[in-house]
This record gives sequence, structure tokens and C-alpha cells, in this order.
Amino acid sequence: MKRSLSWFAGIWICGAAAALTGQTSREAYRQDYDAWREAHGNLERDAGSGGATLIPQVDRAAARVAAFGTNRAAYAKAAAQAAAQRRQILQAAATRPSPDLAPPALSAQVKSDLQTVTKTITRFADDKDRGIQQLRQSLERERDTLAALNEAIEARQKAVATTTAAANALEQARARTAETIAGDTSALSQNSVELEKETAAWAAYYEGLAMAIQIANAPPPPRVEITTVAPRNDTAPGIPRARYAGAWTYPTTNGSFHGAQPEFVDLVVHETNGHADGTLFARFKLSGTATDPLVRFDFQGDFATAALQRFPLVASDGTKGTIELIPGPAFNLLEVNFVVDPRQGKINVGNFILVKK
Amino acid sequence: MKRVAWLSLFLGSTSLAQTPDLAALEQAAQKRFAEWETQAKSLEERLARILPCDARSSAAIAEVRGLSDARLAALNDYMRAASAKAFAETAAARNLLSAEERRPIEAARERADAGQEQTAVDIQSDGLLQSINKRSSLQDAQKLLEQITALIRLRSAESERQADAAEKIVPMLRDLVAKFEARDVALQNESAAFEAERTRWSGYYSARQARAQTECSITQIGSPGLNPAAQPAKSPAKGKAK
Repeated sequence: MKRSLSWFAGIWICGAAAALTGQTSREAYRQDYDAWREAHGNLERDAGSGGATLIPQVDRAAARVAAFGTNRAAYAKAAAQAAAQRRQILQAAATRPSPDLAPPALSAQVKSDLQTVTKTITRFADDKDRGIQQLRQSLERERDTLAALNEAIEARQKAVATTTAAANALEQARARTAETIAGDTSALSQNSVELEKETAAWAAYYEGLAMAIQIANAPPPPRVEITTVAPRNDTAPGIPRARYAGAWTYPTTNGSFHGAQPEFVDLVVHETNGHADGTLFARFKLSGTATDPLVRFDFQGDFATAALQRFPLVASDGTKGTIELIPGPAFNLLEVNFVVDPRQGKINVGNFILVKK
Repeated sequence: MKRVAWLSLFLGSTSLAQTPDLAALEQAAQKRFAEWETQAKSLEERLARILPCDARSSAAIAEVRGLSDARLAALNDYMRAASAKAFAETAAARNLLSAEERRPIEAARERADAGQEQTAVDIQSDGLLQSINKRSSLQDAQKLLEQITALIRLRSAESERQADAAEKIVPMLRDLVAKFEARDVALQNESAAFEAERTRWSGYYSARQARAQTECSITQIGSPGLNPAAQPAKSPAKGKAK
């Protein structure tokens, strides 16, 4: 199981990198799907009788489903974002030219001028004076231009009315479509979230499957606290080492603790041939008599077959103590208890639950 | 090639940044209209008080004509910007329709995928149930697999719902694109009508100026060389000063 997590993490990172570089086509994730199904084979059927030899296959299937899930969620996310971007056009009212830029009063003015000019022409109609005739001709030309202008204004007013009607119809259709499509846009954006949940569920499933294969049908080990006297290379069935090994951190929200409240905790546990060594670095909120918020220590020892692992620790200033690692209710949770010999102004006790990075 | 791509990106962003502000253009057009309207309304009244050959007569008509040209130019700027924006919207709507028309196909594929996954999980589940008889520790894994089955079923149902939604959306979008196009045609006609009106206004002011010259010339018969209205006007203020 030690290799399971590193494989899992590695493939996950590759999947995420592929997603970032834009290789999130449907064909790409479907290829991942086929690779996953091929790697999976008949694990469930074989799990009934198979032993630890099945674990590498579980690892491979877990890695493949992680790659498939990551790529598919990235594809769904990109598709939802593109759809939302395209649908932006429905969010704002469509352009409609202002009908107020050439008000109707303008037409009235032209009509009034036309009437005045026409009346003047009529008044001069029978006048034989050469100059008046010249003026009448000039007025007739002006009347013609005013009549043409009046016609042009009326044609433009009709065009403006048509545009206004078309813009109104468009606006109603846009609002209706925007309302209908809004729910769908929201649902599309949820697709990738649901797919990520599925991917996480598959990861949990393969971990559970591996655990079940490892512990076989052996009765659960008695919950007795065993110190570091267990022999190395202990292969007796028990809690998988992956429940302890790895990088762990204190959650930024809703963290569980007892006693001093951690602000952050980083714990790294390595496992080699049944031997553990690790480092814890933490900062706590100051309370009581403590004046130094930092805690740092190293620990090592052999893994026991019990769920609770206890190791001696040595703090950065040489002080000694003990750390206990207890697998949490979920695969990615680990409870930590530590006690360090009391020192002036230092935090010497801690109890909290960490999550796997 | 990279340089070309970057240049295109830069030019694209520059052209976006230079998109005219429609509200500002509308405001400018309204201002030009008000300036013209004030002078145009009082033109005949002012001309009636000026002698036909007074240079102020020709200058007053020229001034109103200048304001009219400025108004119509501002209106033209506004109409061009509005049309450009409207056509861009229609292009975006067409693009949306084209993408949405492909969605039912995509949704059908997703449903098929979900069906395939469901079948695979059902087979896994059967295999696990058989193995649990030999190894009870697999019960927790079976519970996790049941949860996954439920998630896939939900996804399958959701993808079916989304396919139905896509089927309904496409006709609405087709109708919407048709309305965008109708709006654009109307807008084009409106622009053409404005342009025709612009030409008519120009013709009218030419005729009005010609009448002023005729009025002057008929009062100057027998006084050759005295036709100030026929001369290019300088400005009403200068004419008044003379």
C-alpha cells in the first residue's frame, strides 16, 4: 500500500497537468476510461480469494480512475465555462438606437416652413414683375427641397418605428431566453463538481478495497497500546501503513483539537520496512503560561500491529516525549497526541486531527 | 507564429479598448441637435429683420447649415457605432446558437457514457457480492461502490435533464437569432433613411441660401456690383460691425 499513494498522487498530478495544458478533449478522457477499465479487470471477483498480489492492480486501477476523473472533470469545467461565456450575450439588453435623436417636432417645423413657402408662391403667382418671378422660381425650388425633406423625415420616422418595434420584440425574446437558460447554465457549472465527487468516491473505494484485501478475514487486532518493541518487517495483517505514512496538515477550517488550539500543523511520516520516522512542526494559539507558540520535534520507531502507533520523540531543544498516531474515521484523517517533558513557556501537550495532503 | 499570435491578441484588445462609447456618442448627438434646433427655429424670424443684401442674412443661413451638418455628422457617428455593436451582438448570438445546436449530441454521448459506466459498476458490484461470501472485510468496499452507483445514476438523470433542456433551448435561440437579424435589418434601414435625410437637409439649405441671394439680387437691379449677400459670408458679428 505504500506505493499506492505515491502512484495515486503521481497520476493525479499528471492528469491535472494535462487538464491545464488544454488536453481535455472528450476523446482524451475516454481513452483514460478505457485504460482504467483495462487496469481494473476483475478485481472484485478476484478480491474474494486473492491476496497481497492484487494490491499493485488496485494501485494501477486507482491511478487510472484518478487520471480519468481529473480529465473528465476538467473537460466538464471547461465546457461549462465556455457555455457561460457564450451565454453572456443573453445577460445584457440588446442594443437599440435612441429614438429621441430626431424628435417629431423637427418634422412639424419642416411642414410649417413648407406651408409658408407654398403660401408665398401662391401670393406671387399672378405677379408679372421679373424680379418677383425670379423670387417665385427660387421659392419653388425651396418648396421642392422642403417637400423632399419632409418625405425623407417621414420615411426615417417609419424606419425608427420599425427599429423600435424590432428592438422591443428582440428584448422580450432575449429576456425570456435568458431566464430559461439561466438554470441550465447553473446546472452545467455543477457537472464538474459532481464529477469530482465521483472521482473522490472512486479513490476511497480503491483504498477500501486494498484495505479489505490486506486485512483479509482476520479478526481486528486488539486495541492494546503497543510500544515500539514490535519486530521490524512485521508483515502481520493490520491497519495499512498508508494510514500513517505521508504528509499531513491541520485543516484551515473546522479543525478538531483538544487543549491547545493549533494554527497550523505539518506532519511528515516516512515508512521503510516497518520502521517509521517523522517530523512534526506546529504553531499554536498561545494560552495559559505558554509564551512560545512553536513546537518542533522528530520521532522514530517501528510500526506496531495495533491501530495506535506510539513513538518516542525528541524536540528541537533536546527535550524528550512521546507521540501517538491514531488512524481517523476516514482514510485521510489521522489523530495525533503528543506529550513533551514540561519546559518553561513551552507547549508540552497537543491533541488534534490532521488531514492528508 | 507566436509573434503574430501575440500581435493579433494585442490588436484585438486594442480594438476592444477603442470601442466607441455609445452613451457618449448619444449625448454628443443630443447636444448637437439642441445647438442646431435653437438656431434653426429662429432663422426665419431673424432673416425677416435683416435687409436682403445684408451679409448677416447669408451668414445666418450658413451658420444654421453648419450646425445642421454637425448634428447630422454626430448622428451618423452614433448610428455607425450602434450598428457595429448590434452586429457584434448578432454574431455572438449566432455563435451561441451554433454551440447550443451541438449540445444535444454531446448530452446524448454523456448519457451513453453514463450508461456504460453504470453497467461496469453493476458488474463490479455483482463480483463484489460474490467475494463478500469469502471475505467479509469487503463489506465496506461494497458500501462505497453502492454510493458510486448512486452518484452515477444521479449524473445520468442530470445529463438526461440537460439534454431535454438543450432541446428546448435551441428553438428559442433560433427565434432569438431571427429577432437579432430583424433588428439589424431595421437598423440598416434606419441608417439609410438618416443618410437620405442628411442629403435632403443639405439640399434644403442650398435652396434657402439661393433664395436669399435671389432676394438680394432683385432688390439690386440697376445697382450693379452691389450684391453683398452673394459674397461669401464672414460672420454675423463682423457683418454687424460694418
